[in-house]
Amino acid sequence: MTDETRLSELRAKFGRVPPAPDEPSPKPLTLREKQPRFEGLVSGHRACQGCGEALAARLVMESAGPDVMVANATGCLEVFTTPWPQSAWHVPWIHSLFENAPAVASGMEAAMKAQGKKTKVLAFGGDGGTYDIGFQALSGMLERYHNILYVCYDNEAYMNTGIQRSSSTPHAASTTTSPAGKDRMGKRHLKKDLLSIIAAHHVPYAASASVAFPADLQRKVRYAMGIEGPTFIVVHSPCPLGWKHASALTIEVARRAVECGLFPLVELERGSLSNVMPIRSPRPVRDYLEVQGRFAHLMKDKDPRAEKERDHLQALADYNIATFGLAGAAQDANDTGGAAAVGRGGPLVGGM
Amino acid sequence: MAVLTRGAYALPGTSLDFKTGNWRSTEVPAHVHAKAPCHGACPAGEDQQAWFGLLQQNNLEGAWRELVSANPLPAITGRVCPHPCETACNRVTLDGALAIHNVERWLGDRAIEHGWAYPAAAPAADAPVVAIVGAGPAGLSAAWHCVRLGLRAEIFEALPEAGGLLRSGIPPTRLPRDVIDAEIERLLAVPGITLNLRARLGRDVTLDGLRRSHAAVLLGPGCQEGKDWSVQGAVPVDLHEGLALLREFMDVGAFPPGDRVIVHGGGNTAMDLCRMLKRAGAGHVTLVTASGLPGPETDPGDVINVVPRELEEALEEGVEIIAHATINRLIMKGSKVTGVEVVSLRKLKGADGRTKRVSFEGTERVLPVDLVVPCVGERVSPEGLEGLLRGGYLRSVDAWGRLAADGVIAMGDARGDRGTVAEAIGDGRRAALAAAALVAGAPEPQEDAREVLQANALNTRYYPPRARSAAPKLPVEARTFEAEIEGCIGSDAALAEAARCLSCGNCLACDNCWTFCPDNAVIKTVELARDGSHYVFDLDYCKGCGLCAAECPTGYIQMVAEA
Ligand SMILES: Cc1cc2nc3c(=O)[nH]c(=O)nc-3n(C[C@H](O)[C@H](O)[C@H](O)COP(=O)(O)OP(=O)(O)OC[C@H]3O[C@@H](n4cnc5c(N)ncnc54)[C@H](O)[C@@H]3O)c2cc1C
Ligand SMILES: Cc1ncc(C[n+]2csc(CCOP(=O)(O)OP(=O)(O)O)c2C)c(N)n1
Ligand code: SF4
Ligand code: SF4
Ligand code: SF4
Ligand SMILES: [Mg+2]
Repeated sequence: MTDETRLSELRAKFGRVPPAPDEPSPKPLTLREKQPRFEGLVSGHRACQGCGEALAARLVMESAGPDVMVANATGCLEVFTTPWPQSAWHVPWIHSLFENAPAVASGMEAAMKAQGKKTKVLAFGGDGGTYDIGFQALSGMLERYHNILYVCYDNEAYMNTGIQRSSSTPHAASTTTSPAGKDRMGKRHLKKDLLSIIAAHHVPYAASASVAFPADLQRKVRYAMGIEGPTFIVVHSPCPLGWKHASALTIEVARRAVECGLFPLVELERGSLSNVMPIRSPRPVRDYLEVQGRFAHLMKDKDPRAEKERDHLQALADYNIATFGLAGAAQDANDTGGAAAVGRGGPLVGGM
Repeated sequence: MAVLTRGAYALPGTSLDFKTGNWRSTEVPAHVHAKAPCHGACPAGEDQQAWFGLLQQNNLEGAWRELVSANPLPAITGRVCPHPCETACNRVTLDGALAIHNVERWLGDRAIEHGWAYPAAAPAADAPVVAIVGAGPAGLSAAWHCVRLGLRAEIFEALPEAGGLLRSGIPPTRLPRDVIDAEIERLLAVPGITLNLRARLGRDVTLDGLRRSHAAVLLGPGCQEGKDWSVQGAVPVDLHEGLALLREFMDVGAFPPGDRVIVHGGGNTAMDLCRMLKRAGAGHVTLVTASGLPGPETDPGDVINVVPRELEEALEEGVEIIAHATINRLIMKGSKVTGVEVVSLRKLKGADGRTKRVSFEGTERVLPVDLVVPCVGERVSPEGLEGLLRGGYLRSVDAWGRLAADGVIAMGDARGDRGTVAEAIGDGRRAALAAAALVAGAPEPQEDAREVLQANALNTRYYPPRARSAAPKLPVEARTFEAEIEGCIGSDAALAEAARCLSCGNCLACDNCWTFCPDNAVIKTVELARDGSHYVFDLDYCKGCGLCAAECPTGYIQMVAEA
């Protein structure tokens, strides 16, 4: 396909023909339209204040779009972006069921292939849709080697139906189905190590990312977009409602999760660890727990069970740091300090 | 062809029709340009953050223009100012305050080297003329600010040269004469400023005369007279007062003979004199001061009032200091002093709440001396100012320096509660503002009442660590009467320092708010927005979550009450 035909195809698809710089545009562009970035997910969506999932999806769309289409599993993202008859999506988007986004995406990809089109298919799901109910569909999608980027927005519970525990909910977190109380200190089981299972499919690329490190997240999306084959990214996305923290603290909470080692940022290619984000100065797990209501029962200093669970979570974090080699040897442009650095005019690329 | 039902599609972007802005409850994000702490602490009124911002954009001349919009003498202040800006700098909590004075000096020198023109339009030929008495830093600053405000300035200086204490007090080892010459000459060349040398108030002109001939009279005569000094009534015949001795040395190049010298007092004159005496070969130079040395035990209000690096260098050079002490008695042989009795004291609060000096019996010690030099301060010489002085100074109760006589404004050391070049420069600016308000018939000059940004409003997480640069210094053995002790930091280090600025209270254009808003409610603009940033809040959609404010490194976004 020549550039010219591809261009006219895109123009036909997106309706408006972008004016050349010297052409007078029919209607003056609004400030919003003049912004130097692609908006695949626009304002007016009904996510809660400070929603980490809305932010994560927006960041993914900016780096993946515009030539993409999306299959979205049931969940907050699907619900808050598409209250009938409106949509916050500026790309083709489909929702079918809670459990079948990877299967729907597989069909979309096959259709594109049959038509000789290059439009990349994205599949989105929450942690419930990905770790739990959509898991077998996802495994099939990976195994059949579809050219799809699957993004899991991990807010560590079934948020849309009222904060039920999922297999991604961290150990000891309180949810409506793992309530903290006399009998239990929140969820009894561990957070599922999904990334290892994905990696076992021997896929070209699988990674974890966090909304607290948007430049890193977007690099991972761009990298996955460049791969022909199944790729997978799980994005840690705080939920102020379900995690019970102030809406202004979404980034701070996500950052502490990475900095304490409980949510390691890693990349796997063909099943092997290819990159990690080293932690510049690891902080105690307590710093992460204390800002969230879902762990409030662990902050009771007089309860010996609280101390035990805090130590348990700290041990899990230490395990991650050791297993993935997250303890940075020296200050590094890509560690948790360098990756966040900004300067005048924007993020410091390769900043210290 | 299948027909879609209404529920099966949505127009692209239709959620934009749904304005989530009405979800905000009590608070809304706003851009608040608070004063950076350096700016808040600068007696001259410089906005360091603003000129560091321009340096970060590699706009060197623009940075200098911004700097001189407050302080026209940066090559001078960069060398002598005690830099309270650095003490206030928020970066001190990370990896050290910015080396502001080194960068200021470098920028001032660069302007001289490149001949950058002072940014001010020539005032109209018939613009009102303001009379300025004294061409010290206060008078020079006042003249510059008058021109910036569209007025003409006519300076009357008693001496044959402009500069005041910059020339006659501060030694060349700290402030080389060619720097004074170059910077002042350039400033005086600004159209609208005229300088009358050898024109003394009280001899060549009178206050009443100036009040009649000029739109306003700004008084910056400094303090030229040593205060009286005696110890229990005793005064040695060969008494030399500190500032006079220092000036004499600068003219003649020699001190009266004496191997053991005691300097009594505190402050810059005492400190410079001690160092010069030591360099001139005196074996023992001891400063006896009622104040304390800086340290954890000393109350900040009780610390000796000198530029910190001066104190450090004096100690390096072997000057001895007896802190918290005074001279109790002079031991005379005839009318010549041969020894002093020193006693320890403290400034203590009395029952009436007023601070008193209390000396402690039993701490007396006698030191042999050849020379005792009092440096207990100076006061305004009354010539031509009869009737205006109160307790030896031109005291003014308002910030602008206005005196009881209409249209007469005091500034600088002469006000009695000042003592630095930067304060004199700030006074000059305020006096010019007060004069401009007077000329315009406006009731009150305007004060910048913005709040100073506190360190806890920053999100320092985003600043990469960067160590402070240091300027080279002459080793003690190489110090002479002429050679400058502190060197230039150099362009690379100066720009590296500028890059360390956290941009407290002002947008850094880091994009954090634009990146992090989950609702796309921060819009980035190509043109400058009205508030000078490149970002606009789209309050149609902002839900008021506060994320942008929490993640704004500079504190420029604050959550404020919904209007
Ligand atoms: C030894 C020494 C070291 C110092 N070191 C420092 C330092 O490191 N850092 C710092 O910030 N400050 C320092 N200072 C203080 C600083 O020099 C003064 O605060 C500052 O110069 C005050 O400026 P001014 O314009 O008010 O007065 P001055 O500088 O005293 O200028 C007053 C001018 O008015 C002229 N004048 C006086 N009377 C008349 C009259 N009747 N008619 C016409 N003209 C008249 C004088 O000739 C003089 O030129 C030092 C002072 C001394 C003495
Ligand atoms: C088969 C099926 N079971 C249950 C539901 C109800 N349901 C809708 S959304 C949701 C939870 C989604 O959780 P998750 O995937 O983690 O996404 P989140 O809302 O947390 O973003 C559930 C249980 C459903 N839609 N379909
Ligand atoms: S970091 Fe910059 S703006 Fe902030 S106080 Fe220091 S010099 Fe001023
Ligand atoms: S992050 Fe966005 S929605 Fe939240 S307060 Fe800021 S502008 Fe408003
Ligand atoms: S977050 Fe960055 S870009 Fe936004 S207002 Fe603050 S400094 Fe400016
Ligand atoms: Mg979920």
